[in-house]
Amino acid sequence: RILNNISQLSSLPLQILFYVNGIYYIFYFLATLAMIIYKSQVFSYPDDFLAPDLAVLFLMAVLEVPRLYLGCKGNLREEEAPLGLSLGVTVGSMVLAVYLLAWQTYVLWADVVLSALLLSAYGLESGLKVMAIAAFVS
Amino acid sequence: PTDARNAAQARARSAPAPVTDVARLCVCDLLVAQCDTNCCCDPDCSPEDFSLFTTCSVPVVTGDSHLCSQKAAVYSLDVEANPPERIFKLIDQVNPSIFCIHATNYKQALYLKSPEMPTPENFDELLSKFGSSGFSAEPESWNMDTGVPNPPDANETYRYEYGVPIQTEDAFLRLPSPVVSSWCSDANPAGFLVNQATKCIRSVSVEKCDSIPALNMLFYTNSSILAFVFQVNVSVQSIVVQSLNGMRTLLKGDDVLKLPVILDELCLNVVLGVSYHITYTDTGEITEAAAAFVLGAITKEELSVQQSFQISFTQVNTKPVPLSGNPGYVVGLPVRAGFRPKEYPFPVEFVTDKHSQLTILHSTPSQDCLAAQGARAPVLFGYNMISGCKLRITVGMQCQPVSQTLLDVLKGQSFPEYVASFGNSQAQDVLDWVPITHLHISEQRIPTTLQSSCQIPVSLGIEVNWTKYGSLANPQARIVNVTATLTTTTLRQLPSGRERIIPVTSSVVFTDISAPAEPGYKAWPTINIKLPFDFFYPFV
Repeated sequence: RILNNISQLSSLPLQILFYVNGIYYIFYFLATLAMIIYKSQVFSYPDDFLAPDLAVLFLMAVLEVPRLYLGCKGNLREEEAPLGLSLGVTVGSMVLAVYLLAWQTYVLWADVVLSALLLSAYGLESGLKVMAIAAFVS
Repeated sequence: PTDARNAAQARARSAPAPVTDVARLCVCDLLVAQCDTNCCCDPDCSPEDFSLFTTCSVPVVTGDSHLCSQKAAVYSLDVEANPPERIFKLIDQVNPSIFCIHATNYKQALYLKSPEMPTPENFDELLSKFGSSGFSAEPESWNMDTGVPNPPDANETYRYEYGVPIQTEDAFLRLPSPVVSSWCSDANPAGFLVNQATKCIRSVSVEKCDSIPALNMLFYTNSSILAFVFQVNVSVQSIVVQSLNGMRTLLKGDDVLKLPVILDELCLNVVLGVSYHITYTDTGEITEAAAAFVLGAITKEELSVQQSFQISFTQVNTKPVPLSGNPGYVVGLPVRAGFRPKEYPFPVEFVTDKHSQLTILHSTPSQDCLAAQGARAPVLFGYNMISGCKLRITVGMQCQPVSQTLLDVLKGQSFPEYVASFGNSQAQDVLDWVPITHLHISEQRIPTTLQSSCQIPVSLGIEVNWTKYGSLANPQARIVNVTATLTTTTLRQLPSGRERIIPVTSSVVFTDISAPAEPGYKAWPTINIKLPFDFFYPFV
């Protein structure tokens, strides 16, 4: 097989997006954590509202690692199973991102911007994953 | 039906709902149904009121400024229009910061929390959470119900401290005093070492005067004072009987308890005044207690009587000398004076007691010098006083007896010779006492060559010069010299049938002769450098 031929099924844009997503997610996690700390100092943030927000953020961080790993693995090996699993985890992460966008205790404007960017990245990723799975299966 | 009632009760008990609409919020609207000045958001103001305003005290009403976009009510006055009118705009205020709150899912975030309304169920819990020493569930103060005798606790009465109520067999030693109004309240305890004097009014009636306990001597002497291990009885020191016209006589003989009796339309032996004298040791124990009574009579028409009460404390084996200041004189306290007993070669002590006070004539309503009953007022430091009387000169009045009488009236029975220079001058310190200088001025109406014509005194002026002594921050008053100036005039004989009235005055004036104070400054610090003596070794 010759590289960069239509016989290569791995999706390059998806791979680029995985890298970008990984770096962006680190920035997103640190920024959101810093903003939650800021909110707890400036506004009245009782403990039983703070706990769910922090739990969602850390859960998302925990899910991100297998998500990206499975996605990369599936894409490079041209296997649809890990990629499908990664797609499922992505849907979960999207729900958590929507929580941080709309159902947090205090949603700052910066929160909205960052979460919207993350959601758009997830959406694009999901689309590309579906296309890659279709290419692998057929 | 019970549910509806409970709901209605709950609604009535809950706080009113908070107003959050910026168009309806008005902080400066304080007067109900009236227009507040310069309050542009007041709904009670008409356009005519707005035209009289100068500025808007509340220009903008907004919610929390952290929100990204919020409604704001802007009030302003358009002064250029004629007449000036108020402009009300509802605008959207935008917070440009990226950390503005876009949305919040926590409803109480931006509002103050409504406090919990107390109900019988949650009252105890709220009290323990929020109640502090100001509100306590059980009253811990002593029970002043004198019907229930309080069992004495021997451990507590072993020593009295300043201000502690003096305990007796039943409750406390009572010193009735006016509380809130002028009516007597019997629940005022006497504090240890707290000298008090109170006056209050008690309602009385002749029919029931022997059943009112506070008019009875027994009420004040029957309970004994608890002191250390034994009890001190309140003894009757003296009884003064006051007649209906105010004349007081001291009862001699045994101090027998006199109870109120109803005689004709009078009630006799009613307690009008009690003066307690408590003797204490320096360890805080009470050794003696005595009460001096003033008993009087009340008539049928009197519905209330004024009672006066006093308590004073003396240490054992001391004779109390009231100080007029420590050390400087305090304004309002009597000037201390005394005599120097004539001893040879040098006297050791001055005699100062209440018979040798510096006094001034006290004006009487009758204003007749010859009928003056010797009423005198003490000279109080710092209070300039003037008093006098009128002397009516008739035909045939002899000069010599009139002059002697007037001298007695002006100077009193025993005019002192020395005045204490400090408020706490002891009688032993001879140098602390200032002699009174006497001056004599004679007014000569008719210049006569004979000086032996009799003169009558018409005016006595006491001038007390005092100075400020001591430190600049806390100056003490010290009397420097006292001058008594007696002005006399000749008594002219009158033609028969005529009479003349001469005013006779006496006055006390206090003059401050202190030199202006000079503040003292500390010396400049000096630099003290000395070289050791072998500094230049080996050259020196």
